[in-house]
Amino acid sequence: MSRLGASLTGSYLAYQFQNLILGPDEAEARKKMFQKKSSRRIRHELEELKGPVMKLGQILSMQGQALPPEVIEELAHLQARAPAMHPTLARAQFKGVLGRNPEEIFQSFEPEAFAAASLGQVHRAITRKGERVVVKIQYPAIRSAIENDFKLFRSATLPGQFSGHFPAEILDEMQTGFLRETDYQQEARNIEFFREELAPLAYMRLPKVFPEYSGDRVLTMSEVEGRSLDIFLKTNPSPQLRNLFGHHLVELYHFELRCVAAIHADPHPGNYLFCSDGTIGLVDFGCVKYFSPGFREIVQCFINRVWENGESESERMLRLLFGRKASLANPKARDMLTAAIELFQLIFPARRPGNTKVNFGDPEIITKMSQIFRKSLQSKLTNPEFVFASRAELGTYNLLHALRAKVDTADAKDRVDRFVEGCLVQLPNQPEKAGK
Amino acid sequence: MKRPAPKASRRAQNPASDAGPRQKKKDQTRARILRVALDLFSSRGFYRTTTRQISRKAGIAEGTLFNYFATKEDLALYFFEQELEKLIQWFEREKPLRKAPLVEKLFAIVHRHLEQISPFEDFVGAVYLRALQPASKLHPISLDSQSLNLRYLRFIREVLAEAENEGEIPPVGDLGAWAFALFHVGIVSFWLHDASPGKERTLALLDRSLKVARTILRRGGDWNW
Repeated sequence: MSRLGASLTGSYLAYQFQNLILGPDEAEARKKMFQKKSSRRIRHELEELKGPVMKLGQILSMQGQALPPEVIEELAHLQARAPAMHPTLARAQFKGVLGRNPEEIFQSFEPEAFAAASLGQVHRAITRKGERVVVKIQYPAIRSAIENDFKLFRSATLPGQFSGHFPAEILDEMQTGFLRETDYQQEARNIEFFREELAPLAYMRLPKVFPEYSGDRVLTMSEVEGRSLDIFLKTNPSPQLRNLFGHHLVELYHFELRCVAAIHADPHPGNYLFCSDGTIGLVDFGCVKYFSPGFREIVQCFINRVWENGESESERMLRLLFGRKASLANPKARDMLTAAIELFQLIFPARRPGNTKVNFGDPEIITKMSQIFRKSLQSKLTNPEFVFASRAELGTYNLLHALRAKVDTADAKDRVDRFVEGCLVQLPNQPEKAGK
Repeated sequence: MKRPAPKASRRAQNPASDAGPRQKKKDQTRARILRVALDLFSSRGFYRTTTRQISRKAGIAEGTLFNYFATKEDLALYFFEQELEKLIQWFEREKPLRKAPLVEKLFAIVHRHLEQISPFEDFVGAVYLRALQPASKLHPISLDSQSLNLRYLRFIREVLAEAENEGEIPPVGDLGAWAFALFHVGIVSFWLHDASPGKERTLALLDRSLKVARTILRRGGDWNW
């Protein structure tokens, strides 16, 4: 069975990588071979395998326009569900980590999980003091499974590494990221860090860690309320509310980039919990990317629109993006930079005065972004630091797209600007009314 | 030369029998011997512990010890019978588990067994090696271990039969119980060598292999030999 799974997903991955590397015409021909039935089978296999392959499925499903819709629909299921550990296994793993059974520690503990995470599952519980908590339990031995899968993954992508389309540094970055996700103690530190750093965003709600009931494979946190995106959308929220959430999400993303210098890099919809009062709960801090000074400089280049200051500045920006060897003399590099700038200008269309409202319901932004990803792989221009940053960016725009949000992005940027300059201590819940 | 087997096996089947005070005292002594022996095994090792040391620590004459357990292997056999008895009684008490799917039940049985024997890991490791010797009383096909094996097989057969009746798995018959017994032994030896934190690799192996087995069984075929 697992052999069957490995061979199936093996060919599936090969298909995906081919697709990324091949030009659009050949890819189109291959896409037709892909039936819904097979994508469902793939999802089942991915769920069986758990771990990184499933994570990869999630990333692929966030590629929006890059994949055929029927595949996305199937892969999207991966984001919220995974096969459960039965109660006995979950208890055994809990005891293996904390030395006692859950019912010896908590006042009550729900044996059935209410949510699945790719590396484990989440149970509700009530502490002896009566606090409502969620307990995340990791599937046993997931770490060694990931290490094994990556060995396989590395040998499978050897041609890509050889040709330079899939550099080893990218694989290293992915492996480090995924393995970090298996360490719940690291996740607890991430939560504490973000609780402090995101405190100025009054509309963000983050969980609190209970270290006394946590270990490296069990993490107990306070429960965060709210509805996941698909359920929230089913309640027919008003355009105002959708736009408000859109505004918050753009602001959050820029606040993380510019003020926190770290980003919640697992942006799948299940991790955002929407409340009708306009607040957003953010959970699952397993995958967090802390940025290097170089990356922060890149962000600053975009914010300051340095390309408007002449070729030498553009050249500097390009080197920051793709390394010392990159040069505007290389047409591919020039192409990439132009595309990145175009994307930025799509999201921040112009300066005031003027219409600075961006309609994220328009698929153009996501299409553009997928094109850039594809281009960067095809032209061998990559930067390992982008692996998780772009995952977060694309995830944010996918959320905004699903919300069909119209956001005054210049206003969101201004608010973050003023915060950076120290004019604001806290970013208030309501954005300034546009067009005032 | 084989010495006559002590009566431990039959006794283990009915540990709480309503025997007289004499019998009760005998059972207590037997339990005490096992307790001190296990202590000694864990501090000195199974092979280096002598029957003399056991009898001295248990406060009985060496000859008396011989009346209870002719060899250290008999002691080990008695240990496993006791553990099996505890396991079966535990399973019968676990009402919610009785309604769980077969995969979970079997997982729970093996996992509970491992939890029970985990304080005596070194001892169990030594006994497992010993059991591989064809002349050993602990060998799976030795006459001395028969009643232990039968008790185990009947227990598993019952659990499997329940799932067969519920239509959870196709009829697997006695072969299913035998196959599971082999698997159980395999898991214990994997567990003995599992150095992962909380022995989580054993948990994963146990879970994954039971699920694979279920998938294979459901795929069809005649397993009832």
